Amino acid sequence: MADWARLRRWLRPPRKLTFTREGRLFVLVAVGVGVGAVNTGNNLLYLLLGWTLSFIIASGILSERNLRGLVVRRRPPARVFAGQPFLMEISVENAKPKLASYSIEIEDLLGGRPLDKKCYFLKVPPGKTQRTSYRHTFARRGLYPLDGFRVATKFPFALFRKSRDVDAPDEVLVYPALVAVPRPAPQARRPGEIVSERLGRRGEFFGLREWRQGDDRRDVHWKATARSGRMLVREYEDELTRRAVIAVDNALTAEALAALEADDLDAEAEAQLAALERAVSMAASLCAAYLEAGWAVQLVARGDGVAMAAGKAQLGRILRALALLPPVGDDVELTRFDPRVDSVLVAPRGVTAAGRPARVGQVMEA
Amino acid sequence: MRFALAHKTSSYLMVLFAYLAMISGDAVSPGVALLGLVGLGASWWWEPPRVRLERWTLVWNILSILVLVWAASTAVLTGDFLGVGGAFLTWLVVAKAFNRRTSRDWQQLYLLSFLMLVAGSVLNEDVTYGVAFLGFVLASTWALILSHLRREMEDNFLLKHADDKASERVEVKRILDSRRIVGGRFFAGTGAISMAVFVLSAAFFLTIPRVGAGFFMQGRKGQTYAGFSDTVKLGSGHGSIKDDDTVVMRVEIQAPYRGRDAPYVHWRGVAFDHYEKGEWRRSRQAPRTELYIDREGTRERRLLRHEAPRATQAELEAELDGLTRHHVYLEPMDTDVLFTASMPLAIDLEVGRRRFGPRHDQNDELRLAHKGELKYTAYSRIEPPPADTLRAARRVIPRGFEVFLQLPDEITARTRQLARDVTAGLTTDYDRATAIAAWLNDNLSYTLELGDPGNQEPIDYFLFDRKKGHCEYFASAFAILARAAGVPTRQVNGFLGGEWNEYDEYIAVRAGDAHSWNEVYFHGVGWVTFDATPASQDRLGRGGSGLGARIARWIDTLRFQWFKWVIDYDLGSQLAFFKDIGRFFQGIGRWLEARAQAAWAWLVAWWFLAVPLALGAVAWAIARALRRRDARPADERPRPRARTPMAALYGRVLKKLARRGLARDPATTPRELARLARDRGVPGAAALDELTELYNAAEWGAAATAEVLARARALAAEIEAALDAPAPSAPPPAAPAAPAVPR
Repeated sequence: MADWARLRRWLRPPRKLTFTREGRLFVLVAVGVGVGAVNTGNNLLYLLLGWTLSFIIASGILSERNLRGLVVRRRPPARVFAGQPFLMEISVENAKPKLASYSIEIEDLLGGRPLDKKCYFLKVPPGKTQRTSYRHTFARRGLYPLDGFRVATKFPFALFRKSRDVDAPDEVLVYPALVAVPRPAPQARRPGEIVSERLGRRGEFFGLREWRQGDDRRDVHWKATARSGRMLVREYEDELTRRAVIAVDNALTAEALAALEADDLDAEAEAQLAALERAVSMAASLCAAYLEAGWAVQLVARGDGVAMAAGKAQLGRILRALALLPPVGDDVELTRFDPRVDSVLVAPRGVTAAGRPARVGQVMEA
Repeated sequence: MRFALAHKTSSYLMVLFAYLAMISGDAVSPGVALLGLVGLGASWWWEPPRVRLERWTLVWNILSILVLVWAASTAVLTGDFLGVGGAFLTWLVVAKAFNRRTSRDWQQLYLLSFLMLVAGSVLNEDVTYGVAFLGFVLASTWALILSHLRREMEDNFLLKHADDKASERVEVKRILDSRRIVGGRFFAGTGAISMAVFVLSAAFFLTIPRVGAGFFMQGRKGQTYAGFSDTVKLGSGHGSIKDDDTVVMRVEIQAPYRGRDAPYVHWRGVAFDHYEKGEWRRSRQAPRTELYIDREGTRERRLLRHEAPRATQAELEAELDGLTRHHVYLEPMDTDVLFTASMPLAIDLEVGRRRFGPRHDQNDELRLAHKGELKYTAYSRIEPPPADTLRAARRVIPRGFEVFLQLPDEITARTRQLARDVTAGLTTDYDRATAIAAWLNDNLSYTLELGDPGNQEPIDYFLFDRKKGHCEYFASAFAILARAAGVPTRQVNGFLGGEWNEYDEYIAVRAGDAHSWNEVYFHGVGWVTFDATPASQDRLGRGGSGLGARIARWIDTLRFQWFKWVIDYDLGSQLAFFKDIGRFFQGIGRWLEARAQAAWAWLVAWWFLAVPLALGAVAWAIARALRRRDARPADERPRPRARTPMAALYGRVLKKLARRGLARDPATTPRELARLARDRGVPGAAALDELTELYNAAEWGAAATAEVLARARALAAEIEAALDAPAPSAPPPAAPAAPAVPR
């Protein structure tokens, strides 16, 4: 594959040239003048013909100079959600020491094709960097490989649009769309269980803080204290933190899966796939809601999962896993989870799949 | 400069130059041209927010329809399609300039400008077109670049506040008012580009093959110059043109006819044989011009053999070598006469693909139907044969040459008697002709103020009553007197002398140089020029020497070069141009070859000096390069990758381990490798542990001491020995896989 990509790059023409409307007209006029010159022998028409040809050549040389020495970079946002617009920052550095570049268009390439949005730079002075952003929305979750940029210009006379593709591989991970979902009440909680709002003493290590009056001396972190010169104590996650398991059933029927693999989706398969996407979106939204409320969340899916944890980092882990969660057959089992913990199974509506857990707190259909 | 102002100024300049290129010819009437200029100027201020353009749309539409109707009807009625077309184009440009709103309007204005330039190529072939074209190239580069930028910013700087609302242009006004987008550097840079475009255009112009037939060429209209006339009628208004310095032709000629002090040349045009009632004509009986035409490709050589038999090619070449060659660049005239130095024997000219049937020119006249300007090369015998040769010529009148002795009945007896008196006792035609010319010179004077002869025969009036006249009278009187004395003579019209242009070294013959003289026939020699007009008649002379005259000559040079290299540039010129270039490069090649041979000869002769010199030069170059390298800061200097003795030892051990199947993956640290070796029971693992620590300490800490190095060498030897020992029963473990990188 890598060889093919290299070969494709090698075979790719270094520049692409397309006529603009004005350019077509100009060439037409040049041809007309040429025919007139030959027919009439009028030397002034030959002079005009020479001018039109020179203009075209000058256009080619100047556009080439304009495109050279440009370094393009992108800075994607931290998180991109399906269905939500985001801003991609594009910066162009003009590495030429003396010549400014004018009228530069930058397009991001996705799968070798430009996105529908482009960034325009009127003037990039020599040695300077300019930034702008384009707004785009990815409709579906997943990993989008960005190949590079198409740097184009119609400078100087807008006769042609000259472009060159620059390799700048990058990936944009698009998380499932977050939707407003009601956070179901805990279902697997045992009667009498107390929800503590304070930190526990012997749970998962949470972090360090300065010693305060009344702290247990057993919690002093001596190494850190010696290193920093300040008395530091360990903090632990509360053992009684509320926990939830969000399970998403990413199974499709065998027929739908076969149709998906063959890239020949019928209505039924499309409906299943849409339901699965809704389920993934709902699961992501549930995870976000629980984590936001301070719960620890474990994600369970067929062939994938994220261990129980709380905090913002956990949301990132779960969203990443859900963004990449593939549809599978129902022969793939859901990862294991503690049945005593509150759990919600999000299942795509209309998809019947074997292997769903019998003991689950609540089932939601998406 | 503000962006918007720069764009507007450059666009207006572009339109203005194209407009000047079109109207500088005479096709568009001065009134229309002036109105157009005023209209363009007024449109500068006619724009929002000063004017609400949409209010005036109806007015402009109605006016445009009216102008269209006027143009169509005028063109049909007058047949002047070109002139009316130019006027209508002027209207279109002015109307568009008054209605410019968007970038598309500007583009249409540019297109109209180009159309004006195309129209100008037909309507105006003067050098003013070239000057306007140069300005157009400069302004169009600026205008098109700025127009492109303006359009791009109008298209790209859009902002949508909501999906259901239209985009708004943001920042465009701010940028249009900005002074940072274009400045002096921009104009200078793009100006240089314009010049490059101009030079490239010239290169294209010179190199594009001239294969056109020129069937539809609309040349410049022939001008009627008062000086020269295809007929001579004594008493007509010849005198009023003697001060007219309009150039009618330019001639590049060989020495000794170059320079301000060079002898005057008679530029022969037409010749007449029949005189009647004060008017010279060509009679039906006049001998035809004896021409032999050699055609080669599109070029033609016309040879005037007069009464001489046709010669071989070699004889012709030899004969032409002894003649004065001159290149004539003829301005458009309302005659098809080709002027040459008197007497011409051959003429070379480009005739394209046109083929003409046999012409019936008479009296050794040369004619070619042509439009516009024309250039050709002529070979003439300017200096008359020696007097002895002419005296020795026998008095023989060839058949048909009797017409050159024709005298009308109205020639008075006293005129005939005068001829007899002047030539009394003279035995040769040459002496008779010379005596008549001398008598005219001595007894009559030159004037441009003519009297009215009434019913009197004009020559008689000139010789006996008025006793003053201009060249036509002198020439006519000479012809009549010579014929009365039995000397075959004809009247010739053309030009005399011309202004010497010191800048480009050519003779500019002006309308005021028009002149009449005579040719006398000598058997076995041919026609010889006789000029009986006193020399004082030349008012224009070789041109003034003051500043104004010099400037005028410089401008004429410009005009001449323009016609020579642009308007008259044809396949012949192109071939000559490329031959010149070829000769130039051949010259360079020969020069280089000669220099190389001389250098080689020197080297061979002085090898004992050359070899040490060459070696010294090489040594000096190397030393200089080294000095430069040392002068560079250390961090800029390319350095080979340093490898310490400890690293070399460790590398040696790594190679050995790799050969035993424990190759270190790039992602595996030395300590991890050592641990792996230990876990897998690789021989020498313990020594490798210690060596790894020593290696780490030396590479990342202080440099290894001699003792440490000695210990490392011992450990390396120990490991190598262990690895070289007979292999255990189980094969060594495979290399570890690269650690999975979390995605």
